[in-house]
Amino acid sequence: MRTTPHPVKLLKIHYCFNIMNNSNPLHWSFDYNYGAQNPQFAQELISTLRGYAPEVGARQTGVGQTVRHVYNILPNYWRGYHRGNAAKQLSIGTAIIERSKANNNLWYYSIEYENTTSGENLRLQFRCKDEPYRQLTDSWRVDARNRGRDAYSRSTYDGHLTSDRDVKLRINGIEISSGTVETDDRLTCDWALFDVIPALVPTIQTLDDSVEIAVLEDLAQPRLKSRLGFLESIEIPIPLDGYYLYGIGLLPSYWWLDAYGNVAIASKTFETLVLKERIG
Amino acid sequence: MSKRPNILFINTDQHSWDALSAYGNPYLQTPNIDELHRNGTSFQRSFCADPVCAAARSSWATGLYTSETGVPFNGGSLHPEIRDLGQVLNAGGYRAFHCGKWHVPGRDVRESFQVLYYGQRDIGAGGAAYYDSASTHAVTDFLTNYNADEPFYLQIGYVDPHDVCEYLHNHEEKRIPNPVEQGIVSEDALPPLPENFNYDERETVLHRVCRRVDDALIHAAILKGIRDWDELHWRYLRWNYYRFIEKVDAEIGRVLAVLQATGLHENTLIIFSADHGEACGSHQMFQKFTLYEESVRVPFIVACLSDSIAVEKNQMNETHFVSGVDLFPTVCDYADVDVPEQVQGMSVRPIVEGKDVAWRDYAYIESNYWGRAIVSERYKYVTEYKPKAVEDFSPPGPDAEQLGLAQLFDRQNDPGETENLVGNAIYNEDVKICRDKLLTQEAKLHRQQIGHPSPKQVISNWGERLRTYWEHGR
Repeated sequence: MRTTPHPVKLLKIHYCFNIMNNSNPLHWSFDYNYGAQNPQFAQELISTLRGYAPEVGARQTGVGQTVRHVYNILPNYWRGYHRGNAAKQLSIGTAIIERSKANNNLWYYSIEYENTTSGENLRLQFRCKDEPYRQLTDSWRVDARNRGRDAYSRSTYDGHLTSDRDVKLRINGIEISSGTVETDDRLTCDWALFDVIPALVPTIQTLDDSVEIAVLEDLAQPRLKSRLGFLESIEIPIPLDGYYLYGIGLLPSYWWLDAYGNVAIASKTFETLVLKERIG
Repeated sequence: MSKRPNILFINTDQHSWDALSAYGNPYLQTPNIDELHRNGTSFQRSFCADPVCAAARSSWATGLYTSETGVPFNGGSLHPEIRDLGQVLNAGGYRAFHCGKWHVPGRDVRESFQVLYYGQRDIGAGGAAYYDSASTHAVTDFLTNYNADEPFYLQIGYVDPHDVCEYLHNHEEKRIPNPVEQGIVSEDALPPLPENFNYDERETVLHRVCRRVDDALIHAAILKGIRDWDELHWRYLRWNYYRFIEKVDAEIGRVLAVLQATGLHENTLIIFSADHGEACGSHQMFQKFTLYEESVRVPFIVACLSDSIAVEKNQMNETHFVSGVDLFPTVCDYADVDVPEQVQGMSVRPIVEGKDVAWRDYAYIESNYWGRAIVSERYKYVTEYKPKAVEDFSPPGPDAEQLGLAQLFDRQNDPGETENLVGNAIYNEDVKICRDKLLTQEAKLHRQQIGHPSPKQVISNWGERLRTYWEHGR
């Protein structure tokens, strides 16, 4: 099904200092094409981007329909600390974001994140309200497995937000507080940002616009007073609109949306997620 | 304390002493490390043994200074006969565990400790964003399952804020707009430039060749990439650095919360420190590898989250000079395990318990194989050994004839170390006293010849560059 492209941003500015390297076409916010990663980073990023053909965004999903975005994870530095430079693929893993809207007006999320440098295999399950900020509801669950060869192999924890806005985690039967959020904080999971940012585009149209948001990073660590705003628009190799996110304890990350509201690139401190597949 | 305690050594990487909100820094929030400060003794005169990861960590692991360990920089190799902390604790009936960054080259952490987590690809120098969260998962899993009768020693090596190094590498080959230009942060949200941004250029040859010249031995590519930085770029570096620290503070918070929820805090001593600091714009410098305060001075907190272990709480100790070599004997003291004879450090336990104890009146620091510093009550004295005409790979010193240039800073009147007093006749006697103190300290070291080919190669190459500079001034 083909839907209408993302609404034209009437006030949006094509900012003039769209700085790029001469040697490759990447934007500085996701240009990690140097040193041992040159030219592989640019090649894999561009080829991955060209490989998917979305004509619809996740938010246009109907009740009961499951949408899945699959991201290739590229390391931002030193081939993900790979020993030597011999890897055929630069990719250090995959992130899969799957969600569906139920009849109860909740979004059900299931995330799988695999990182072959850290060995982490995270599986996150949570529910959100059907509104732009995708605020977390009731409880969530994290299953963290690790492929490292040492003693630690798996940890699971359940979390919930108490009535007095305390983020509680239960790890192997032990309950801790991971922080408190204010009543007016709109708490979402960082993995829901793949839908939150497209949903907030009408609110963030110019460089002067930004919104405050509270992020529960990996469903464990509240990052309060985070700020989401518009960065600029580029065309590498497809038209992309950029947004930034930063906050207390949260280094700036950069999120690039395609014309259909899919996050095509999400570049964080150490990794760049590039959309390679959209299903549903 | 009825039985031997559990000991939790939490360390961060590249964390300067003043980058904590508990110490009055208004530009970041570190509520969890602050909690350790409130529940313990914070040593304000705490210095690493050597301001680079592998060298500093080798001193932690052995209680020895760099000239003794065989690890004078990141490419060294620990002398094989030196016993490390894990080996000593295991022999003393402790269960010694490790999680996270190790970075003691030449020693397999898995042979000395029971390792909880060390990455799918072994953790090297950096990569906090990959590893730190997994380390927390591993440690919280460990603590919630620990039910052995024996006490444990667990060291958690967090990588952040070391990732600020990658922030800098990011500038090597591309220009990144400053955040005000990006439109994401207003100028008034950024920390100011440090007061000691401008510096006295009368530095040692070693420092110039390693860090200042265009083809500097250390991170020349970063140096080139930031040559045209404006003030906002430097301030943005500081802003980012503080975010990295907030990230790791949150990881520590979850560990402390689990420690308390399990009840293990009742009998757990916590030591918090960092391997070295971060220049973060001071002296227009970045990263570590220097003997300036921001690079060598680190937090060192000994705490207990209950009252079962005698620890003076909420204490800001501004009297005692603590070194990275003191970690080893301190842990052994609490563990009631014998300290190997050659260990240089001293246990801070009596100080933490509020007792009077004879203590050193200075801190001794090495850097980049040839660099040396003595920090005393009034002065910091920085100097260097000239490279030997024929390198024998025996760490230099004590040898007054071979000393090169020097810096003397008045710590009371010039805490930012902006005026080198060497050459000012008024301070000649003070320079001599400091130099004598340095040579006396160096005479106590059991230095060993470097035998591993990798550090020997570095010493040869760097030595050649230094000799050239001494001969030709460039």
